[in-house]
Amino acid sequence: MNKTLLIAKSEYLRRIRSKWFIVATLAVPLLGVASFALPLLAFSDDSGERIAVVDETGRLGEAVAEALPENTEVVATDAPVDSLRAQILDGRLDGALVLPEALLDSVGEARAAYYARGGIDPQGGLRRSVREVVRQARAEAAGASPAVVDAFASDVALDRVTVSADGDGGDDALGRFLLANFLALLIYIAILIYGMLVMRGVIEEKANRIVEVVASSVRPFELMMGKVLGIGAVGLSQLLAWMALMAGMTVAAGPLLVMLAPDPATAMPAGAGVDVPDPAAMLSGVVSPGLVVAFVLFFIGGYLLYSALFAAVGSAVDQESDAQSLQAPVVLPIMLPVFFLAIVADEPDSTLALVLSLFPLSSPILMVVRMAVTDVPVWQVALALVLLGAAFVGVIALAARIYRVGILMYGKKATFGDLWRWLRTA
Amino acid sequence: MPPVLCLENVTKRYGQTVAVDGVSFTAEPGRLFGLLGPNGAGKTSTIRMVTYITTPDAGTVTLGGEPVGPPTQARMGYLPEERGLYRKLKVGEQLVYLAQLKGMSEAAAKTAVAHWLDRFDAASWADKRTEELSKGMQQKVQFISTVVHDPELVILDEPFSGLDPLNADLLVEVIGEMRDAGRTVLFASHRMESVEALCDDLCLIAGGQAVLQGSLREVKRRFGRDTVTVAFAGDSGWLGPLTEAGAVRVLSQSEGQAVLRLGAGTPPRAVLEAALAGAEEIDRFEVHEPPLVDIFRQAVTGSEFGVQSSELDRLGETNSELRTSNSELR
Repeated sequence: MNKTLLIAKSEYLRRIRSKWFIVATLAVPLLGVASFALPLLAFSDDSGERIAVVDETGRLGEAVAEALPENTEVVATDAPVDSLRAQILDGRLDGALVLPEALLDSVGEARAAYYARGGIDPQGGLRRSVREVVRQARAEAAGASPAVVDAFASDVALDRVTVSADGDGGDDALGRFLLANFLALLIYIAILIYGMLVMRGVIEEKANRIVEVVASSVRPFELMMGKVLGIGAVGLSQLLAWMALMAGMTVAAGPLLVMLAPDPATAMPAGAGVDVPDPAAMLSGVVSPGLVVAFVLFFIGGYLLYSALFAAVGSAVDQESDAQSLQAPVVLPIMLPVFFLAIVADEPDSTLALVLSLFPLSSPILMVVRMAVTDVPVWQVALALVLLGAAFVGVIALAARIYRVGILMYGKKATFGDLWRWLRTA
Repeated sequence: MPPVLCLENVTKRYGQTVAVDGVSFTAEPGRLFGLLGPNGAGKTSTIRMVTYITTPDAGTVTLGGEPVGPPTQARMGYLPEERGLYRKLKVGEQLVYLAQLKGMSEAAAKTAVAHWLDRFDAASWADKRTEELSKGMQQKVQFISTVVHDPELVILDEPFSGLDPLNADLLVEVIGEMRDAGRTVLFASHRMESVEALCDDLCLIAGGQAVLQGSLREVKRRFGRDTVTVAFAGDSGWLGPLTEAGAVRVLSQSEGQAVLRLGAGTPPRAVLEAALAGAEEIDRFEVHEPPLVDIFRQAVTGSEFGVQSSELDRLGETNSELRTSNSELR
């Protein structure tokens, strides 16, 4: 058997059998789905809240109570704030809303107050409800006709349409943006984790001194490539397992989510004008097979490129703690695209986005982002892959020169100057 | 083609340092070749070129007439001075994997590994993780990994370091078998005594250069029978006048025994006469060839290439340490 494949196979089997691999493969999708589902579960908690309303205006209380979600129990009271505080503290009330008389003044200096035990606007849309009601009252007081008041209270719907060569799609901009973020972070984390794993593997072989035995059997390049390919296959297996598990869980959880998800008509204040999209439906609407294929290809390309660099860094040090300074120039270019993520997702067709999505060090992350948010011409995707492949060939040649010198060097901590010398003399 | 290992004018530089400087030697099949020299003399650098881990800047290395390269790597076994194994792998898997890297099929590797584990009374370790083994057990595993693919050339760098006497004996036995089976054995060490006891041929290197080589017998003969050992009872005062006159030099001295190098023109009987006159009793008097460590010292200082005196001191120290440990063993 080819030695590179033999080494790759051994690396692959060794790691895929480890507890770490099995735990991570199962835990990550669970966490991912949980992070989606838990907020929804919390959101759908429809046990109504009990709120006291102290209406000093004598006119607004009823309107506010109506504007609040249906399942809210509103208690009109004129108890002093101190006693309401006590009731909130011992749990008899969830909150207390105080509407001072001066709210009706059209100048609007007065402030409403809501007492509760913390949380971000626990009564979703409370602020909006109060605002609507007060504005309406002020407008009426100022003599506005009911028609004018209605006109200002009316909602204006805005339909977003995503234009692409295949025809116009519905409003999925938010879904596409979420997807872009998700895929970019997944590639970023995967490249970092598996690249580091390659580095750690190289350092371990060097620290164990096994490398000299292996180097007397195979060429250093075969050893390095075997390790890179074997760990890459581990990464790919894990990503595919994650995708399959998440897809499975989403399908299984879909009906559950729909059941649990709040019905906008009942849970939302009337006329609030906010739509809560179903994330699962949103994602499934924008994930195309082409995107999945591109995602896998760009992960492979990006991983190969960076893991070769990580292998070179690993070969130059005796122990992991020494790798800090040398790995910075490798880790930094992986992190930079993440900072450009929002810009590229916002304007996927700008020159900056085009350049960054073609440049091999950033294309694995940013081309996938562009593909997620817009319709990227096939030639650009192909060009990015070709450039990535070419960069890999160049980088692995350089990395191999550092590697084959580095693995036999012990003692002195290598500097960038040393690496440069190894590159030239090896 | 018999597996003759041949180095011709091999030179290796690391930056400004010349690690190996025009070294030539030939190691014959069926013989044990000792590559000797102090730490830093260039032994490991030389071995790395033989094993094709590195390549020489000048000169050639051939095995059985074929320049070394990936095909010859499969026909060599290498036990490096710094031992190393995959700590997490099970012993059996580890040996099969390392044998496969040498080009064996999985099935053949499994058979050979089973045979060797048996031979070393280690069959029960096959399913243990390597890190669970004691250091001595790991040494055995490492040695098996060196010979499991039945190599034509076996390279052992300081094979006895860290071995207890029983395992050292086992190793000597196996090395002897390989020699008898027509394998070439290259044995690198800075411990002159173990080399002296085992090797047929030797090459002494210092400062990257070969300063002396040939068969052990020939090398010793070349230096002549100029060494005398006297075992005696009583005061050693009789030695004083001899050394002061420059007739002898004391190589080593302990209570009741002295090893002396005869000066030019000093007949052995002059020493015997002085001893008879000065010592209470003579237990033993022997004229013999110098010990290898002394030959090495002479060869290095006598050569035009100076060797750092500190290197020589180190050499002397290790050898006296070895002597101490040997006498403890007895």
